[in-house]
Amino acid sequence: MKNIHKALVLSSVIMAGSTQAEITFNGFASIVGGITTSSDETLYSYDDTFNFAPDSLLALQASSDLGEGLSVTTQILARGENDWDPDFEWAYIAYNASDDLRILAGRQRVPFYMYSDFLDVSYAYPWIEPPAGVYSLQFSTFDGIGAMYNTSIGSFDSSVHLIYGGNTTDLSIAGALQNSRLKNLMGGAWTLTRDWLTLRAAYFQADMFIDVPPIEPLAAGWAAAGFPEIGDKLKIDDDKGAFTELGFQIDYNNILVIGEYTLLELNDTLLADEANSYFLMGGYRFDNILVHATYGWDDSSKSRITNGVPEIAPLLPLLIPTNGQTDGEASDSSYITLGLRWDFHDSAALKFEYTSYSDDLNSNNDAGLFRTALVTVF
Amino acid sequence: MNKLFKTALYGSVLYGAVLFSSVSFADVAIIVNTSNSSSLSDSDISRLFLGKLKKFSSGEKAVAINLKLGSSTRGEFEKKVLGKSASQIKAYWSKRVFSGKGKPPPELVSDKDVITMVAADNNVIAYVDAASVDDSVKVIKVY
Repeated sequence: MKNIHKALVLSSVIMAGSTQAEITFNGFASIVGGITTSSDETLYSYDDTFNFAPDSLLALQASSDLGEGLSVTTQILARGENDWDPDFEWAYIAYNASDDLRILAGRQRVPFYMYSDFLDVSYAYPWIEPPAGVYSLQFSTFDGIGAMYNTSIGSFDSSVHLIYGGNTTDLSIAGALQNSRLKNLMGGAWTLTRDWLTLRAAYFQADMFIDVPPIEPLAAGWAAAGFPEIGDKLKIDDDKGAFTELGFQIDYNNILVIGEYTLLELNDTLLADEANSYFLMGGYRFDNILVHATYGWDDSSKSRITNGVPEIAPLLPLLIPTNGQTDGEASDSSYITLGLRWDFHDSAALKFEYTSYSDDLNSNNDAGLFRTALVTVF
Repeated sequence: MNKLFKTALYGSVLYGAVLFSSVSFADVAIIVNTSNSSSLSDSDISRLFLGKLKKFSSGEKAVAINLKLGSSTRGEFEKKVLGKSASQIKAYWSKRVFSGKGKPPPELVSDKDVITMVAADNNVIAYVDAASVDDSVKVIKVY
């Protein structure tokens, strides 16, 4: 009798949980509207007409436990800025090799940033989207293998996430989407968490192969003039890119402090050699309302690649556009975002944000942006 | 005058105490199977329900069980034991669910269902309203 009872209880739990190729659906959505505060301003794809497209999105995730530690998950994401065309953002098979080690094979997120894993799940963080200066890489996923190893170090929970794979997303360079291949994309992130404190560090690198047709004539010109190495320094052909990240989060009672730093280094390409980005955020929770302020700053630099080339008339048609390109890669900007998140419902929150952006090299790019969002998970 | 003031003060203190007790909730009991002799610290209990710890101190597999979202006992548990609001816990699990790192504990509807399950399975750890506990399960801590 007792055994029958036990069997009944267990089977009801199994049904509540998952086995036998039962599919679990989850999803999230953000409806975001924004408008710049003056008629001549644009910022983060918004202008002075109220627009819902740039940040709105809807995602549906389906996952199924196959048993024996194996599971399959896909996440389909439709973005307003892509006319709501759905994309497979995640598609992987996961294997729990042990309680501590989980291996993912397929399409998954590169854990570049502190919020990479749930980059589009606005419900999971204070802002409408993470600070755009730091969260600026053009791609977020890769196809390959990932391994997550979780363990305890003293009173800290440690999580190491290693990846290896590649990416073929077209990237926007020189004003247009270019055919891009990132190979040997590898690296890892290490996160330490204890009660209210999170510390994180990450490093990734990749071999980049990106066709940039607008610079081909220039590279050919340098080769014909006897300076092929300058053309090679413009092209993105088997050049290394490296990314470093440091982050922390303090979530103590009602106080929230978050900071993150990233460094992107690109060797021998037409793009900036080095780009630094930082943000620091402070927030305070009043029951179900969180108010927060973020200051972020970004700079990038590029050395000229024409040093040693004589400034003689026949070479000027090559020198001027080449120096123009490399000089134009320097940037220096900052922003302040003031925001409010109101958890008005068990599964949904309303957010309001105002961002004031200043470009220290060209004040014509200064802008103010107001955004509001309804975000949910289901 | 002074007396009047004192009476008013006592009255408001008394009223405050009544009001306070009327909004305070019942205690939450953390329960395991009677055969489970594991020792668990506050931090262990919290980590078990957040999916960060998956074993008891004995090395046996641990399965945490939740009450249904919206249950007042669950709200108390999240506030007292996990130190978070319901929406903070929801945000925590959405981070893990959408990044393939884990999923929240399965939910049962009532204290009775939870107690029946804990009594039948020595891997389960759960929480119920302390007033619902009977001797078919072992209480390891009351919050």
